[in-house]
Amino acid sequence: MNVKKSRSGASSPLNGIDKQDAESRRKKKEADITQALSVTPVDVAVLRRMAISEGGLLTDEIRCKVWPWLLNVNLEGISEQLEEVDRTNNKDYNQVLLDVQRSLRRFPPGMPDEQRMGLQEELIDIILRVLVKNPQLHYYQGYHDIVVTFLLVLGERLATALVEKLSTHHLRDFMDPTMDNTKHILNYLMPIIDRVNPEVHDFMEQAEVGTIFALSWLITWFGHVLSDFRHVVRLYDFFLACHPLMPIYFAAVIVLYREEEVLDCECDMASLHHLLSQIPQDLPYETLISRAGDLFVQFPPSELSREATQQRRRETASSTFKDFDLASTQQRPDSAVRRRRRGEREQQQQGPPAMEAKQGAMVAVRPAARRFVRLAVMGITVALGAAALAMVNSALEWAPKLDLHFFP
Amino acid sequence: MADVESSLEYTTSLGSLPPPRTRIFKIIVIGDSGVGKTCLTYRFCASKFPEKTEATIGVDFREKVIEIDGEKIKVQLWDTAGQERFRKSMVQHYYRNVHAIVFVYDITNAASFRSLPAWIEECKQHSLGQEVPRILVGNKCDLRHAAQVSTEAAQQFADSHSMPLFETSAKNPSHADSDTYSSNSDHVEAIFMTVAHKLKSQKPLVLSQPANNTVTLRNQRGGEEEKGGWSCNNC
Ligand SMILES: Nc1nc2c(ncn2[C@@H]2O[C@H](COP(=O)(O)OP(=O)(O)O)[C@@H](O)[C@H]2O)c(=O)[nH]1
Ligand SMILES: [Mg+2]
Repeated sequence: MNVKKSRSGASSPLNGIDKQDAESRRKKKEADITQALSVTPVDVAVLRRMAISEGGLLTDEIRCKVWPWLLNVNLEGISEQLEEVDRTNNKDYNQVLLDVQRSLRRFPPGMPDEQRMGLQEELIDIILRVLVKNPQLHYYQGYHDIVVTFLLVLGERLATALVEKLSTHHLRDFMDPTMDNTKHILNYLMPIIDRVNPEVHDFMEQAEVGTIFALSWLITWFGHVLSDFRHVVRLYDFFLACHPLMPIYFAAVIVLYREEEVLDCECDMASLHHLLSQIPQDLPYETLISRAGDLFVQFPPSELSREATQQRRRETASSTFKDFDLASTQQRPDSAVRRRRRGEREQQQQGPPAMEAKQGAMVAVRPAARRFVRLAVMGITVALGAAALAMVNSALEWAPKLDLHFFP
Repeated sequence: MADVESSLEYTTSLGSLPPPRTRIFKIIVIGDSGVGKTCLTYRFCASKFPEKTEATIGVDFREKVIEIDGEKIKVQLWDTAGQERFRKSMVQHYYRNVHAIVFVYDITNAASFRSLPAWIEECKQHSLGQEVPRILVGNKCDLRHAAQVSTEAAQQFADSHSMPLFETSAKNPSHADSDTYSSNSDHVEAIFMTVAHKLKSQKPLVLSQPANNTVTLRNQRGGEEEKGGWSCNNC
């Protein structure tokens, strides 16, 4: 697969016929989503596929209906009344206030100040409410960038419920007392890049650029760095429907897409950090989303975890397994949370044996040879694009056993 | 003068002399969240106060090319996140090869001043001790009426750590300069230029700071002269 900028041919030109075509596909998609929502039980698998495939969930109105299903939040269970927030005795209030006050850019440019200030108050309340209710969660700068997205799409009441669920699942690792687990997730970035483009990988290693340029991407789901809100929500559709590690695959895809710029850059930390942290605003999102999905299929976390863990102590490595566990049991997050709390030994008995076995098999293949084979296969999957993704996603139930032969 | 310059250019373009490498000064800016690190670095590099800053997540990087005594120097400012969790496991990587440290507190926020010893300690842990030029900056001098940290207290603290103290405003330097507020605040640009001068004058591997070394600096437009004291009383 060629993940390079210059040779991407995937964005379709919007001439007359294609436009009509796009419009009818959109109509079809809307109908499909309505249909999936109307059956009993609601067809969550279809909703996931819709959230991932081209255009995502299309409108905020649809998002209000579908996001709760993607997070398995029961709308009837949400209380009408929001709990009061005591700001005065709150350890996080000062930091949250400071960050929310500085979040002006997250609001639509034309919004009247008064309305924006009202929303900022709600934003503070949502954050504090979730933190107070879940003392195991720790606020981080950037969390507010995620919450504001939910607030703007869903309104305060729904946003509170969904953000709470998200925080105890997808964002859980970022909200530990320390950022060790976040760092661990960032450690997946370089192995993914290495698999696809060793040259870019080696160049970055040589520059010692590190991975902090991608930190804000990861922990805000790109909400902090993308200025167009439509792009942000499109990505949120994708991430909500996928494995919690998907944002790191997306980060890798962005770096790979900028291959030429990277290789043309001066090979030192400052220049490269500067280049990479300035995210281009005109990214071909649909193409990149489909590539990220492809990479996830080709190089699932289980396969990368060994490398990602190399610099890490053993106990933190289980964090990935935990995430895997979560993703594969997304319909029953509460039990997943309970399971998280059990010991590492048990963790390894549940999902991981398959992964361990798979890793064992992997080691037998010579790395160079594997790389070649993998890239050849990727040429096929990229053609499948979003369709493959939909399969990946429904395949999450048995993610650890996922392998290439499931794809034609 | 113009002739000399063009002939110089000519020589360089012929390739008979390798073009002189631009020296890079790497300066890390640290301090509590909200004290104005992002605004200060932005003010220096873009010469204006940013309309909308955002929380810094991880590390941001800004740079500016300045000229001192005819030498072009690249000043790299590493603007760090203030929240404690970020520095514990994230920011370390960026402490490497740092040439100078700028500690920032907010004069209207006593807590940000009280955090300084922890920041200094953290630098020590990254092997950045007194041998690395360090300065202390009290920001938001335009809000002098709401000050919680007196210049005296700050000066005392700076002295005890052998650092020069600067008080400034990233937002409104001219206001900070006007006598309604303060007569001795500094321009942001002058502050960073002082650091650059200090670094330029410093021989590599000289481990102690010269005592009472007052740097006279001329900004790059060659305009007004300003004094930035590198007073270091306890050396
Ligand atoms: N009045 C005033 N406000 C400032 C000044 N510098 C920064 N601020 C404000 O203080 C807040 C925090 O600034 P920022 O640079 O983001 O702080 P950082 O967290 O240290 O990077 C922002 O709302 C700025 O507008 C200043 O010199 N005067
Ligand atoms: Mg900042």
